[in-house]
Amino acid sequence: MAACWLLRSLSSNFSTVLPLLARSASLSPLQLASKPYFGRTLASSSRLSAALKFTDKHEWIRVEDGIGTVGISSFAQEALGDVVYCGLPEVGTQLAQQDEFGALESVKAASELYSPLTGEVVEVNTLLADNPGLVNKSCYKDGKYTHKRHSAVRGGYSDICMRHFRLMQELKQN
Amino acid sequence: MTRGTTALYKPEDVISLIAVEEERVVVEERAEVRQITRGSLLLTETIHCSGLVWCQSQMRGGQPLVEVVRLGLVSYQEALRLQQVYVNRHRSSPAHALLLCEHPPVYTTGIRHKPYPEPLLDRLRLLGANVHRANRGGLITFHGPGQLVCYPVLNLCSFKKSVRWYVDQLEQTVIALCSRFAIQATTSPHTGVWVGDNKICAIGIHCGRYITSHGLALNCCTDLSWFDHIVPCGIEGKGVTSLSAELRRHASVEEVVPHLLHAFTQQFNCQLTEAA
Repeated sequence: MAACWLLRSLSSNFSTVLPLLARSASLSPLQLASKPYFGRTLASSSRLSAALKFTDKHEWIRVEDGIGTVGISSFAQEALGDVVYCGLPEVGTQLAQQDEFGALESVKAASELYSPLTGEVVEVNTLLADNPGLVNKSCYKDGKYTHKRHSAVRGGYSDICMRHFRLMQELKQN
Repeated sequence: MTRGTTALYKPEDVISLIAVEEERVVVEERAEVRQITRGSLLLTETIHCSGLVWCQSQMRGGQPLVEVVRLGLVSYQEALRLQQVYVNRHRSSPAHALLLCEHPPVYTTGIRHKPYPEPLLDRLRLLGANVHRANRGGLITFHGPGQLVCYPVLNLCSFKKSVRWYVDQLEQTVIALCSRFAIQATTSPHTGVWVGDNKICAIGIHCGRYITSHGLALNCCTDLSWFDHIVPCGIEGKGVTSLSAELRRHASVEEVVPHLLHAFTQQFNCQLTEAA
């Protein structure tokens, strides 16, 4: 089926990206088919899902005109618990993909944030300094954390990854 | 789904498996359920589905092995250096460790260090304690002789990839330990383990790429007057206590360690090993 072929070629791209994400090589790529089922999932969230790409560490990225906006997914904010502190980098900081650039604190646990993109930080969401709970309440809008001018996004994050995590979120809500 | 079944499943059946296994699910074409077990005895099998969604579950087998490392009385800085050694070990493959130690008197703060400016920290130094900033969660606390400090350096990929779950498990471990001493301990909206309004065990951890460090500090026979000089963990109106204070008899760190190890294996469903 055409849909399966398309997804297979996308998944082979994904497997070359995976080693760059510093995860164990045994992690297998995701291959999704089943258009009718996912058609239903995507239709309910198509506006959001068209714009975001997800990493395997549950960060989302939206890239527009060379500027990438980064945040964490609903799945991640739930796994963290109530965020009480958000430590973000200074504007102008140069980051490479996988660099540690900040931390979130929740339930007495400091969790490091790693940059999914290479680039320069051009804007930081200052709302989070006073209201870190936005990361939980509005993880896709007000809780987003940085904008970066990205100079390289290697391989690209497949939409398949995004669909996989949207599925997780749908399931968690059900 | 039971062992040995061969069946064709509809999407909702497969979805329940995805919900259990989360990221370990790989979606691949045409799989048939052969043999699935839950928990720690898991097998890799391809799952076939005549319907629309299919997946293959890839799971680990057996309980994780955790090495117990007894450090004795070490400075806070030395313990940080050793934790980093064990954190780095995880780079090649999971190598879980449980570091046990006591510290000479030291006050430590976490990543939220703004409430603790240098003048305040200098006043604490005048008391004869060391002072250190750490990259853990939680606010200011005290470590000293008579307090059992435990630093699990685990790779959460072998357990559950949720920091919230991990902290919860640490709390439950200590609650189970307290119950072995017939002490009723509880959790509260403030992370840590409490006996009434008094905290008996502080928790503050760090997690990077699913590797944990820092951990918990359980008062066994700690001199609690050290806590008078701070608002422990930034929580006003609450006190601190220790196992000795609750039991009204001396309970040493040595006496408590085996109980902690037992509670830990039960709560985390793991096996312990000690270096030769």
